[in-house]
Amino acid sequence: MNAGGWITMLVSLAVVWGGTFWCFRRVLRTPQDEKAPPGLGP
Amino acid sequence: MDLRMASAQQEQWGTKLGVILAVAGSAVGLGNFLRFPGQAAANGGGAFLIPYFAALLLLGIPIGWAEWAMGRYGGKKGLHSAPAIMGLMAKGAVGRYLGVIGVLIPLGVSFYYVFIEAWTFGYFLKYLAGGIGVDVSAPIADQAAAASTFYNTFTGNAGDGVLFSRDGMLTILSWAIVFAINIIFVYRGLSKGIEKFCSYAMPAMAILALIVLIRVLTLGTPDPNLPDQNVINGLGYMWNPDYSKLGSFQTWLAAAGQVFFTLSVGFGVIINYSSYLKRNDDVALSSLTASATNELFEVGFGGMITLTAAFVFLGLSGTAAAVATGSFSLGFATLPVVFAHMGALGNIVGAAWFFMLFLAAITSSLSMYQPAVALVKESLGWAHGKSTAAVAVLGTIGAFLTLWFTEGGSFWSTVDFWVGTLLIFVMAGVQIIYFGWVFGIERGWKELHAGASLQIPPVFKFVMKYVAPTYLIVVFAGFCAQNLGASVTASWATTGSRVGMITIGATLALLVLIVRAGEARWKRDGIDINDTQPAD
Repeated sequence: MNAGGWITMLVSLAVVWGGTFWCFRRVLRTPQDEKAPPGLGP
Repeated sequence: MDLRMASAQQEQWGTKLGVILAVAGSAVGLGNFLRFPGQAAANGGGAFLIPYFAALLLLGIPIGWAEWAMGRYGGKKGLHSAPAIMGLMAKGAVGRYLGVIGVLIPLGVSFYYVFIEAWTFGYFLKYLAGGIGVDVSAPIADQAAAASTFYNTFTGNAGDGVLFSRDGMLTILSWAIVFAINIIFVYRGLSKGIEKFCSYAMPAMAILALIVLIRVLTLGTPDPNLPDQNVINGLGYMWNPDYSKLGSFQTWLAAAGQVFFTLSVGFGVIINYSSYLKRNDDVALSSLTASATNELFEVGFGGMITLTAAFVFLGLSGTAAAVATGSFSLGFATLPVVFAHMGALGNIVGAAWFFMLFLAAITSSLSMYQPAVALVKESLGWAHGKSTAAVAVLGTIGAFLTLWFTEGGSFWSTVDFWVGTLLIFVMAGVQIIYFGWVFGIERGWKELHAGASLQIPPVFKFVMKYVAPTYLIVVFAGFCAQNLGASVTASWATTGSRVGMITIGATLALLVLIVRAGEARWKRDGIDINDTQPAD
């Protein structure tokens, strides 16, 4: 693998892993809404 | 009880994370692991990621935001089907009937997708039982021939109706099992069925992908006599950039197409799923998180596993030949040869791989029935069980035709082109244009940010109104110029393809009739179906 391959691979992996981690961290830090009361399911 | 009250009592997502995993599950499918690496390798390797991420930012993510916002807005009015929601966006019947496409796509795709899902399940069972019979002591050509023979027999590729002979028993059995699982979870409903399934299946899929990835990255140089066939060169086959390809329109078209299909935008699922959110549930961050999860599976796993493994055992020419034969052949005929070369662990890795593909497929197929179930429920006023049963009958008819007309995949490839490819462009175009130009970008932007956990950069307002529709129209024109002529001819060339076209027409007609009945019912119930009064 040449230098260009390493760079594109590492940058792409950093974007997708970092982006996913960042998104889930924000989702999990946001207070979750209370669940629907029992008995009101489909 | 009006429709809005009834709806509120019927279905709702349990948790914020649950809906994100369900949408991500819908998006992550076989294409993430099989189609993406082939497209990248054939269109500039690492350089492909430049147009790919450009399309993600300017096309996929903005249309996804619009679709999430439209769906939640529909839910505020107690409406959940794409036709009803598009009627709100368009303020009239034209949008409502164009919205039928948003039900036709997932339902039509489900006809053949569950069949392909059955392949993954059947292969998984075969690997648990010892593999598909590839003899590694035979010449490589014979190994490939053995894997291809199994693939053709298992998928019925050799002739129409052969799956109903003794050779097709495992295929039919696999289909029956996965179809039953799908219907059971759809019947259980959103929160107790789809959400619960995805909340286990998505982490399980990530763990399996990680196991397979680690195994592939630690393969080293399996054959010392072939030192060039090693993991680093395998990664290079996928990632070494060929920047000259960036000057080709084909590369940009392939990248936009890949982004478009992988995110499931314009598919009719997101608009339906997001309609079950609560009034002020976040959509901005949820949409972005679902897209990011999909990209992790596509680039982070699909881009690292499939071609690297093939290269290490098959070399440059063997991998190039496998890519040229297409995604399914790569996954189901080439990789079994690779697993056979992994020694004692080969069957375990093969089982893990195909079970991971099965999870990717079933989390997608589960989402394909829900839009049709929602339409039947709110148009005809049927109960959830009766609506699910009606959709299951349609799914069974579609699946029977897929299972019968298997020769060369003539039936399902016809439905795949017209419904699973071309109409997705149309639906996404309709959605983003109505959102930006009829519902209005200012109102849409406000709707998108109601309850949002994320402030979207204002430049995306411009992107959603001007850039995404223009980008989409250019890509669609390029796609049509490249494919339409040959596909029109192919769509009437065989009995299977003709039946495919008739099936599409019949399904469309049925859905239009259901929407027509729903329109009358909603008007009778006093629902504001043309959005004369804003939901807020």
